[in-house]
Formats: sequence, structure tokens, C-alpha cells
Amino acid sequence: MSDQQPAKHLDEFTLLMYVERQLDRDAAQEVSLHTQTCTRCLTLLRALDRESRLLTRSMLEEDEPLPLKLSQFHEKVKRSLGWIWGVVFGLAALGVYALYTGYIEPWQNQLEQAGFGGTNLLSLMVFQSAFWKGWQSMFSLVEFVALSCVAGFGVFAIRRYLRRGTALAVMFASLGLLASFATPASAAEFRKSESVTVGKEEIIKSDLYATAEHIRIEGTVEGDFFGFGTSVEISGHVAGDVICFCQSLRISGQIDGNLRSMANNITITGTIDRSASTFTEMFTIDPTGKIGRNLTSFAKSLTIDGSLGRDLLAMFAKGTINGSIGGSLSARGENLTINGGASIGGPAKFEGDNPADVSSNAKLASPLEYKKLEHKSHNARGSGYYVWTVIWTAAYVLFGLVLLSLLPGFSREASQNVENVGASFGLGVLVFFAVPIAAVIACITVVGLFVGLTTVFLWYASLYFAQIIVGATVGQWILGRAADTWGLIGRMVIGICILRATMAVPYLGMWIKFGVIIWGVGALSLAIYRRLQPTLAPNIPSVPMTPASAPSAPLPPNTTVGGY
Amino acid sequence: MSVPGITEPKDLIVRARAGDTQAWGELYREYAPAIFRFCRRAMPTREDAEDATMEIFMKLREKLGQFDPSRSFSAWLYKVAANHCWDLLRRRKARHDKDMEDVEEIPLEAPEPNQLERLIEERSSEEVRKALNTLGTRARMALVMRYYSDMSYDEIADALGVRRPFVGVVLLRARHDLRQALQGSGALAVGGTQ
Repeated sequence: MSDQQPAKHLDEFTLLMYVERQLDRDAAQEVSLHTQTCTRCLTLLRALDRESRLLTRSMLEEDEPLPLKLSQFHEKVKRSLGWIWGVVFGLAALGVYALYTGYIEPWQNQLEQAGFGGTNLLSLMVFQSAFWKGWQSMFSLVEFVALSCVAGFGVFAIRRYLRRGTALAVMFASLGLLASFATPASAAEFRKSESVTVGKEEIIKSDLYATAEHIRIEGTVEGDFFGFGTSVEISGHVAGDVICFCQSLRISGQIDGNLRSMANNITITGTIDRSASTFTEMFTIDPTGKIGRNLTSFAKSLTIDGSLGRDLLAMFAKGTINGSIGGSLSARGENLTINGGASIGGPAKFEGDNPADVSSNAKLASPLEYKKLEHKSHNARGSGYYVWTVIWTAAYVLFGLVLLSLLPGFSREASQNVENVGASFGLGVLVFFAVPIAAVIACITVVGLFVGLTTVFLWYASLYFAQIIVGATVGQWILGRAADTWGLIGRMVIGICILRATMAVPYLGMWIKFGVIIWGVGALSLAIYRRLQPTLAPNIPSVPMTPASAPSAPLPPNTTVGGY
Repeated sequence: MSVPGITEPKDLIVRARAGDTQAWGELYREYAPAIFRFCRRAMPTREDAEDATMEIFMKLREKLGQFDPSRSFSAWLYKVAANHCWDLLRRRKARHDKDMEDVEEIPLEAPEPNQLERLIEERSSEEVRKALNTLGTRARMALVMRYYSDMSYDEIADALGVRRPFVGVVLLRARHDLRQALQGSGALAVGGTQ
């Protein structure tokens, strides 16, 4: 080696890459030649090599024995597995039983009483409601939902790589391809102004979405009609369904489909061929009014002077029936009056504060069955209440076991978020109230029905999951932080038992439960939000590299170049 | 890439893959110390390292069926461990460690060779380990993957989610950070040469 010093030294990056054997043969040869004549670069090269070895030595050195917890970890897992699944299946049976008797059976009974025997809620909503568009349309909807799901999963799966140009290119190309195959959406007409009127001679050959203070449909809408306004009057003909949110709705014309509405008052003097579902203060079917099938109504005042083809399921403060009901009557409320001109074709049941006032001239297929409405006091808790509290606690534990076993990482993150009280509560309030509203809005549109229902389902499930997560955190406060999933499960069980016990306290328990749900929902939302955050893109600037000159001398002995 | 002092227990791996819990236990006992040490170097605290080790082995148990027996088990194991640790760190980084990106905008200056030599001679392994703990997540992870697990640049690029040519840059910056931690800020960033 000579002491001759070249005018320009190699940069550190090039030397490091040489040490790391990452240079190609030509570049390595340049480095090799240079370091034969440059003492400074050779010293730096050796220093970098020694630094690598120091790093490896320092890291490999056994400075700490394996912690006891880790030494016993395998045995612990093995021991745990034997009994835990027995407990899981036992609790599963209990949970399913609790779910069936607590929710499914009462709903089923209610629906059967209302004349929907043989169907369940889902089929009722999907196949008999305003959202049912016929098989062809629904296939398109299913295709769309399926594509959306696949796309969503795809984006989620490749989110780490999305910053890469190729991945983005593939994604956009795929979307373009899908779009080229997609069925064009059916047309719809949108009208928005202070007053919207469909004139007598006017025919709208598609769905109509109208937003106005006053909406009048005097002509024909061949699709569905979606109305949002102060007053809506339909004196014309709607061939599809009517979905309406307004203060006052008057139907004097003809609706071939269903009516779904939330309004202050609804008056029907015309005809609805299929069913009606309404949430109103006053609901009236005038003597000339007619509903072809069922009526489900929640109203302060319900008056039926006209005719109802099939069953009536209603909750009201005051109900008056002067007209005819072709099917059964199932009602709950304060007062019910059935006048002389009324007729009921099926069984009639009324659960209320006062016995129904039934005229002797009324034509009833069978005598009205009356049951005094029991107003349950929160303080009146028999032994059954406490038994059910225990059963539900078991169901929660089961749910928690399954969730923590299936999603250990996510559960742990959510549990950590619980300790971030401010953020969790803030987000919890937002999600708790905003998500159902968003889901209902999504349900209004046909495409959004599936998304809306799924969202509601997930939101509802999250209310339970929230309690489990808060329970797990409470358990950790008592027993200390869990090191593994099974430890977290154990703490969750203790926390859930404590929470459920506090929730059983009269009056206060209700608020504790509400607070816990808000808190936990916030923690879950925070965990989901953080999971969906994309990986921070590496922001690495280039290191200046000096291109070496190209001398062609042999490499020094014992030098491996470019990994070969 | 292999765990020092451990020869690949092919038979054990095959048995563990077939569901033999005893074989799995032996495999755990064999590799747990090395993986714990890996996690200890990569994660900021001992508790994190313990948790990560357990999670890695739980994950490993599920994924063992995906292991290709014709390849190195240690290499595969370290890849799983590195991915898991980086995943944990990355999530925390997204929340807390935003400062790193700004720091990396600062251009590097080459160290004075003799000064670097002296520093390497003077510092003990323990001091290096302590200095490692002060580094940013990506810098520490990159050094651990390269100099503890002997992972290739491709594997590091894959785990860190960076393009391969940047791995060298990440390592170089990590070394600079380490030197600064060892000797005090800016001590070696003098007399840069080009």
C-alpha cells in the first residue's frame, strides 16, 4: 500500500456498502483499488467493519436470562387449553340460551301475533318491505355489495403496499376493469326547491327523490317516491313504494307498493295496495282510505275508519277503530275503543292500562283478549333477576373469551385505549350516536340497505364488546397488566364480574352501564382508527454517493464482492 | 442466518408441524432465548420484549404449517419475529414517534476515521446495548435485523416496508445515531470528507 493520497475520498455510504457486500463487482473493484492507495479511506473501511462486529457481538451477548414467565409460558398454554374449551362450550350453550330466550323468542312471538308467522325479521324486512325490488334488481345489489366487500378487503390487505406505485397502478387498473363490467345504475330523478309538484299529466318513469317544503304528487311516479319535506300530499299514482319523512303526509291517491314513513301526522283517504309501517303522532285511515295488507304503527293517536286488508300491529296512547280489519289485531297502549261499525276478521288482543271499550255492535271474529299492561318497576327485582344477571354475566364472559381468543392483539390495543380516558369518551359519544344515524341514512337508499344493516349489527355488537374491553382493563387495574392473552382473559373475567355487579345497582347501575358502553365503544373505535392508519411512508433522503473512478486492478485478497 | 449454537432441528420441526405438542415444547425451549434476545434488542422495554416473544410463538404455532421445510427454520423464525416486532413498533410509532422523519432530513457527514476507530475501541458491549435503546424505532430495528439476525437487505426491506436501495441508507443513519448516542451529539460529525 502506498501513502499516496488521492484528491477525492470515498464517501462513507460506499464504504459501508462495500463492507456489507452490497456493491456490484465493478464498484467493489473501484473501492478495493482506492483503499490500496488511500490510508484515510482504508482506516474508515476498517472502522466500519469493526463497528459491524462490535454491533453483532453486543447484541448476541447473553446479558439476561430467559424470564421465568417465558420459561413457563409453553407449559402454561398447554395446561390452559385443556379446560378452557370446556368452559367455552359450556358458556356458549348458556349464552345461546340467554340470547334465544331474551331476544329471539319474544320477537318471534310478537311477529307471530302480528300475523307474520313462518317468517323471521330479516326475511320480513328484506323480502316484504319497501326495499325489495324484485330478484333482478336484488341480484345487482348483491353483486355490488359483493364487489364492494372484495374491494374493501383488498384495500385492507394491501394497505401496507399502497404507497408503492405498482400497487396503486394495479388497484386503479382493477377498479377500471370492474367499472367497465359494472351494470349501469338505474335512473332516478331528483327535485329540490321550495315547492315540488308533479303535475296531473306528468309521468316520471323512474324513482323520484324530492326535497321541499311542500311536495305534491298529482301525476304518476312509475318508480319509488322518496320525500323529505314539511307537507307531502299524494293525490296521484305511485307505482312503487313511498318512503317519506315529513311533518304532514296526506295520501288521497293510489300507491301500488308499501308506505314507510316517519311523520307528525298521516292521513290516508286513498289506497295503499301493500303494507304500511309508520311512526307518527296521529295516524288516520279515513272512511275512504284503504291499506291492502298489514299495518304496523307506532302512534300517539291511531284511528282506523277505513279498511285494512290484513293484520294490525300497533302501539298507541289512544286507539279508535270504526272501520274493518281483515286479519288480526295485536295492540298495546293506554286506551282502545272499538265502535259499532268496526269489524275484525281475526283474533284480537289488547294489552293496555284500561280494558278496551268494545261496542256490542262491533263484529269481532273472536272476543277481544285483554291483558292489563304491567309497568315494571326498576326496583321490583325478584330472585329471577339475579339469576339472569348471573346468566348474562356468563354470556359476557363467553363472548369475551371468544373475542379475546380470536382478536388478542386488537383486544389488547383496545384495552390500552381505555386508559386514554378523554379520547375514548369523546370518540365514544360520537360513535355511539353518529353511527346509528349514519346507518339509518344508508338504509334509505337501496344500495345502502346492506351496508346500513351491517353497520347497525356491528354497532350493536360493539356495545357488548365495549363492556368486555372495559372489564379487561378493570381486571388489569386490580391484578396488574397481563403479559399474555390468557392473562388478559383472566383479568377480563374478573373485570366483567365487577362491572356487572355494579350495573345491577338500582338507578345508578343504568348510568354506569351507559358510561361503560360509551367508554368502551370509544376505545374500540380508537383501536380501529389506529389500525386503519397507513404505515408511515419512509421519508429517506438520498445519501450523497461519490461515483468512484474506474481503475481496473485486482481485488484485495479475502474480499467478497456484491454478496458473491 | 442461524441462531448461534443451534443446529437446525429438522426432525423436531416436522413433528411439531404434525401437531406433536412435546416437539413443539422442545422447539420453544430451543429457540425462545434467542427470540427473546432479539425482541429485547428490538423493543423498547423488557416487558414489551416478553410480550412480543410470547405473541411470536403463539403466531408461530399457528403458522408452522406454512413453513417450507426445505428452507432455514431460523431464517423463517427471525422473519416472523422481525415482522411482528416491527408491526408493534410501527403502530406505536404512528402514535408517538413522529419526530424521526424530521431528523432524517438532516444530511449526514462522514466521520473522522481515527475518531471512529477510537470510539469503537473504547466502548463496551454493554454501552452499545444501552445506546441502542436510545435510538429511534426504525434505526434500532434495522440494526437488530442486520447485525443480530443477519437478515438480508431484501428481507429487511420487506419487513420495514422500504425499497431495497434504502436499506443501506437506513443502516448508515442508524449507525450515525448510534455513534451520537455513544459519544454525545455531533461528536463524530466533524471533518467530513467527500
